[in-house]
Amino acid sequence: MVSQPVTSPLLLSVRGVVKRFGALPALAGVDLDFPAAEIHAVFGENGAGKSTLMHVLAGVLRPDAGRIALEGRPVRLGSPRAARRAGVGMVYQHFTLVDALTVAENVALSLPEQPRWLFRPAAAAHEARALAARIGLDLSPPEARVSALSVGARQRLEILKALAGAGRVLILDEPTAVLTPQEVQPLFAMLRHLRAQGRLVIFITHKLREVKEVADRVTLMRRGRVVATFAVSDVTESALAAQMVGDAVPVRHRGPRGGSSGAVVLQLSGVSVGGPGGTSGLAEVSCRVRAGEIFGVAGVDGNGQRELFEVLVGLRRPSAGSVTVRGQPLSVFTPRAALAAGIAHIPPDRQREGLVLPMTVAENFLLNRGILDRFSRRGLLRRDAARRFAAERVQQYALRFADLDAPVRSLSGGNQQRVVVARELAQQPDVLVTVSPTRGLDVAAAAAVSDALADVARHGCAVLLISTDLDEVLDLSHRVSVLSRGRLSDALEPPVDAAQLGLLMAGATLALRPSV
Amino acid sequence: MKHYAAQLLPSLLALAGALAVSALIIAVSGHSPAAAFGALVTGAFGSLDSASEVAVKTCPLLLTGLAIAIAFQAGVWNIGAEGQLLMGALTMTVLGTHRVALPAWLDLGSDLVVAAVAGALWAGIAGQLKRRRNVNEVISTIMLNFIALGLISYLVQGPLMEAGGRYPQSDAIVPALWMPRLVPPHRVHAGLVLALLIAAAVQVLLYRTVAGYELRAAGLNPDAARLAGIDVGRRLLFALMLSGALAGLAGAIEVSAVTHRLYEHFSPGWGFTAIAVGLLGRLSPAGVVLAAFFFGALDAGSNAMQRVAGVSSVLVAIIQATVIFFLVALERGHWLPGRRLREEE
Repeated sequence: MVSQPVTSPLLLSVRGVVKRFGALPALAGVDLDFPAAEIHAVFGENGAGKSTLMHVLAGVLRPDAGRIALEGRPVRLGSPRAARRAGVGMVYQHFTLVDALTVAENVALSLPEQPRWLFRPAAAAHEARALAARIGLDLSPPEARVSALSVGARQRLEILKALAGAGRVLILDEPTAVLTPQEVQPLFAMLRHLRAQGRLVIFITHKLREVKEVADRVTLMRRGRVVATFAVSDVTESALAAQMVGDAVPVRHRGPRGGSSGAVVLQLSGVSVGGPGGTSGLAEVSCRVRAGEIFGVAGVDGNGQRELFEVLVGLRRPSAGSVTVRGQPLSVFTPRAALAAGIAHIPPDRQREGLVLPMTVAENFLLNRGILDRFSRRGLLRRDAARRFAAERVQQYALRFADLDAPVRSLSGGNQQRVVVARELAQQPDVLVTVSPTRGLDVAAAAAVSDALADVARHGCAVLLISTDLDEVLDLSHRVSVLSRGRLSDALEPPVDAAQLGLLMAGATLALRPSV
Repeated sequence: MKHYAAQLLPSLLALAGALAVSALIIAVSGHSPAAAFGALVTGAFGSLDSASEVAVKTCPLLLTGLAIAIAFQAGVWNIGAEGQLLMGALTMTVLGTHRVALPAWLDLGSDLVVAAVAGALWAGIAGQLKRRRNVNEVISTIMLNFIALGLISYLVQGPLMEAGGRYPQSDAIVPALWMPRLVPPHRVHAGLVLALLIAAAVQVLLYRTVAGYELRAAGLNPDAARLAGIDVGRRLLFALMLSGALAGLAGAIEVSAVTHRLYEHFSPGWGFTAIAVGLLGRLSPAGVVLAAFFFGALDAGSNAMQRVAGVSSVLVAIIQATVIFFLVALERGHWLPGRRLREEE
């Protein structure tokens, strides 16, 4: 246990905190000390206990054992409200906004000063603007409904809200996941600003770069325990990565080289879609994806990513343009027709769109029209054959569990995603559409998913990779283009300058013409 | 095995809790809980005739409970089993007062099928409204209950009123169409056998057919089901209409086997008690069989309890309702379909 001597007075201290879910210890005795005026990164694989620990600190979960002290005084953080009162605020990974209310109303809900009787929209809008200006983040129109905002805008609002109520400790769970590169720097500046005011900022991250860039110290967690806490200046990225997985780090191959010379499998010509509430949608998107190629679509969430995905999986009919698979234009836009045309998909949110969580692992392997039809005869399920199929796929994808009859919700996020990937690639699709397939996965699971994508492309599949994570796009794609404000840029071949791409993603279309 | 035991536990705990609350109420009202429960059990199982009455009460609860299980598993909140049951009963009455030139068993069989179709169509109104216009089925099925109730009330006082014209009730159906009794003269009838066979069929449907798989997936996560190429709207309509068919069949069997005619307040609220039966049975066919039997025994025993121990038979309704409160409180509705998609990592 390497521990850095703490010089400034202790603000928050955690002693012997244990939290079990069933028999499983998510936190197996955690000791940590945080001084005031520090930015502290918590780093580790999925399932390491980071989120659990943060939820304990934010009063969401009650620990089974252990003590928490703020400024030396023991506190009981029995609820998020109690934690906020004690001075601990948190930005969650999942949104806590009221979709049916406006931006201003949501901000008003989080303000410490609540009007006693009357709610005045104009005053609330004014306060929201004032708060946004003070914090230095863009605010969506105060009268816009949250339900109409993009994911990125919603997360910005979340951060704003948490900062509005923040006392001495601010906790963020992967705060940069959906921000543009241009928004990350102001956020980091903001965190530094808060530190200068003497506050403690704790954030969970999967990104080594962020640790190096903004954190003072970093705590590494593995299997519910603190492995070590380092001063960031004393440790290299590779050392951290090695410590995280506990064994060898998979080699990150920076982009496969050379475009494929295979036949064009997927072709989009002038595909347009209206966006919600006057947002971008898609504007004459055209591209060709060849067999054996991973075509990366980079961009910030809310620039047509969702619309592009929905068109390709058949959830949405484009208002203009055509989608062709192996020369056959899609005429019907339903998920069934898209699957029949050979377009498989890995949806952006596996829990919402890729799995039925209460169903068993074996049942979830049937959640695909083609597979369901394959394992049915005259309307009856061929349960034994379906089970053998699931068992084979589980083995092939080295899923570290054996119980096909356990609900899929009992698996870790990484294993859940492996189930989706194993299922969707089973039908040997002509086209695979995938959105941020490695988001939120630990290093090992992300590597497994990346390998699966590379492998399926090598066997002749045309893969369209839509992602907001630049690293993910650059690591995996043969060619990359940027979707910004509904327009798709010309495809670029690696090596691509990440900084330039980042600029393009933020909407600086100067260098690129709309694709033809 | 352990899996099933864990599934059963909340239902048993809820039962225990409900019985404890009921015992308290009995004690507070100045009676002996032991005597009351004793009378309840004796009233239900004290003789062959009382056991037969339990079976008679079980039958409509079993069929409507299955109706609820199918709909709720598909994530369709069918609160309209009562109305669907009434439409089935009405259809049976209308058809049953005339004899058709068919063998009696075939005549009865076809009448039951048509009554089930009537229930399905009545539910289908709500189903189509949901599918085409996104109308909340909770509201539409409740409203259809009122319409069915009003319709029956009008008919038995008007066009369908008995030839003698004294009471607001229909003519009796022809005796050839009476459901055969299993152990004459006791009232237990062949409808119970039919209901048990249907329970087995529902089990097969839900867990061994593509339609059942699609229905359950659509109920638990409609977004994922849709993206997997399942026609969610069609499955919901199918589930709701099948649910209505079983409820309609329940009403038709009741007319054919027990009442032989239609009158106002024909149903003591089977379609609503069915929700309790479905939930207590955790929406599984086997569970629904047990729950319907339990509620049937409570119903059958309640009169004896009133007679012997002097405790109002209304107490049984309190027990039934308390069971549901405990169940929902214990489980927080975790196993119910619906928007419970957000999980901890």
